[in-house]
Amino acid sequence: MRPYFEKMAEFGHELKKGQIKRTEENLNQLKEIEAEIQGEVNRVKTAGLPVEKINARGQMTVWQRLEYLVDPGTWCPLHTLYNPMNNEEGTTNVIDGIGKISGKWAVIIGFDNKVMAGAWLPGQSENILRVTDLAKRLNIPLVWLVNCSGAKLPEQEKFYANRRGAGTPFFRHAELEQLGIPVLAGIYGTNPAGGGYQGISPTILFAHKDCNIAVGGAGIVSGMSPKGDFNKETAEEIIAKAKEFKAKPPGSVKIHYDETGFFRYVFEDETEVLDGLKDYMKDAPAYNPIFYRVAEPAEPKFSVDDLYRLIPLEPKRVYDFDEVLARLTDSSEHMEFRPDYGPEVYTGLCKIDGFLVACIGNRQGYLGKGYPEYTDYPGMGGKLYRQGLIKMNEFVTLCGRDRIPIIWLQDTTGIDVGDEAEKAELLGLGQGLIYSIQQTDVPMMLLLLRKGTAAAHYLMGGPTANRHNAFTLGTIASEIYVMHGETAAVATYSRRLVKEKEAGRPLEPVIEKMNKLAHEYYENSRPLFCAQNGLIDEIVPMSDLRKYLTAFAGAAYQNPKSICPHHHLILPRIIRG
Amino acid sequence: MAQEIIAPLAGKVLQLNIAVGDKVEEDDEALVIEAMKMETPIYVPCDGTIKQINVKEGDEIEEEDVLAIIGKE
Repeated sequence: MRPYFEKMAEFGHELKKGQIKRTEENLNQLKEIEAEIQGEVNRVKTAGLPVEKINARGQMTVWQRLEYLVDPGTWCPLHTLYNPMNNEEGTTNVIDGIGKISGKWAVIIGFDNKVMAGAWLPGQSENILRVTDLAKRLNIPLVWLVNCSGAKLPEQEKFYANRRGAGTPFFRHAELEQLGIPVLAGIYGTNPAGGGYQGISPTILFAHKDCNIAVGGAGIVSGMSPKGDFNKETAEEIIAKAKEFKAKPPGSVKIHYDETGFFRYVFEDETEVLDGLKDYMKDAPAYNPIFYRVAEPAEPKFSVDDLYRLIPLEPKRVYDFDEVLARLTDSSEHMEFRPDYGPEVYTGLCKIDGFLVACIGNRQGYLGKGYPEYTDYPGMGGKLYRQGLIKMNEFVTLCGRDRIPIIWLQDTTGIDVGDEAEKAELLGLGQGLIYSIQQTDVPMMLLLLRKGTAAAHYLMGGPTANRHNAFTLGTIASEIYVMHGETAAVATYSRRLVKEKEAGRPLEPVIEKMNKLAHEYYENSRPLFCAQNGLIDEIVPMSDLRKYLTAFAGAAYQNPKSICPHHHLILPRIIRG
Repeated sequence: MAQEIIAPLAGKVLQLNIAVGDKVEEDDEALVIEAMKMETPIYVPCDGTIKQINVKEGDEIEEEDVLAIIGKE
């Protein structure tokens, strides 16, 4: 299939002089907001005890461990700002992402030992669920840096139990192991109770000499046999026991290396634990990329930094989607599927780091006379119409058949509405797309370039595609809502306005409420809100987007569950005709 | 020699960035049209001087209306 993929059709253009001049302000605004987000990231990184204090105890911080463990330049953090329960610590207290260890892609997660010695916090199990899902979806190893003091006890009711509570990661580890996906764990510090299960549930345990894992830690065994209340006598007993167990906590390496053998290795130094993980990752199941690459990797012909000029921060401004995609794909080349049909949607085959991927995105702007064909109003990109929905259904189905991972690039204002649109079957075609996605078994990722609106956000590879969506990335221009705030205000208050008008009452109080609602929609759709609440998995600087796409493609092809030989692919033949 | 700036779609003139006599360069943003809740910028097709403008901000326009005329250099 070399003739199909070695040299594909070029697309995109160099920025013009006028374009550079008039987009300077857009670039500056985007970079300024990215810097603000970086400030939030830094706040998470510096949460808890100072680095020096941890280092003075002879320990590395989770960030230092990650830096030592992960191959330079490959770390793609995820969920950095995720804090759905609004913890005062500003974090769910796990740090995760995708990166290479010893040249192999892995999903990596560690407890932040600077914050309450790596305690379980509200929202953390939802964070871990996303991480175990990611390993499952990409079929790559999960690597843990366990250092977990167990539940933050004063808030246990918020996360300990429940269907998706703090115990579910252990079931998810078991599920990964059943699927043949190894879970490797480097273990540090004191890991009682929940921390003990975090330690024992992985596949292979690499222990630091000072670590322990236990069903119950020193705190619990010091205070067993409750008598109903506390008095001075019981307090003295607790003090004596606490001193004893602090000196000799349960589940040390003496027990779990010498006696049970749960720890496969024990290492003197912190870095040796990480070296152990690196050694095992060398032998993790992974095909040499040459198995699946369709061409030599190549950088895009145009700079990814052009995205700061090509994607307007102003959400109503139209832009050229193809120019954006040309900044992300190898050699700025592609094979477009059905370019003469459904002009509001781009569907095509592209290369990322030499791997074949399918890209689906919303084209922007006026779609030309006579489209959509079922009505007389003009069609605007970003909106979905009949042909675009049919085209995506076809394309996704063929990608499933050809086992091609899909990258969705979303900037949608929703699906066309009104009786003409209903007659054009858009409701059924939209749900049909969800069905088409569901019947494939290929990894997908979503890059939310700008707007994710209404049901179109679900349809186009959104995180709702639980079994397929590996992760959803946002940019600083991203916003997610069921509808635009002004539209929501009209939908909510239009009848009230009519009533007030007919009753001869002043309209100002209703107008005030409308403005308030529109403002709340704006505030609750910003990238920071989306990241904190998990609507996106990370806000990624535009200059780093290709790095994440490369990680996704490399991980998806590292050890695929199912393959289609290149010479059996049907999609490129359909495109060529 | 003159070149016309033609409306590619019907809508309302939201923003007019040119005036008669302005020296313009190819790809400068001449005006912005609002249609279907989206803002579509219209770019100058060539270097030159604005000779005539047929619209003002707030005007409703039809597809293929001549919005302005440029004297090409």
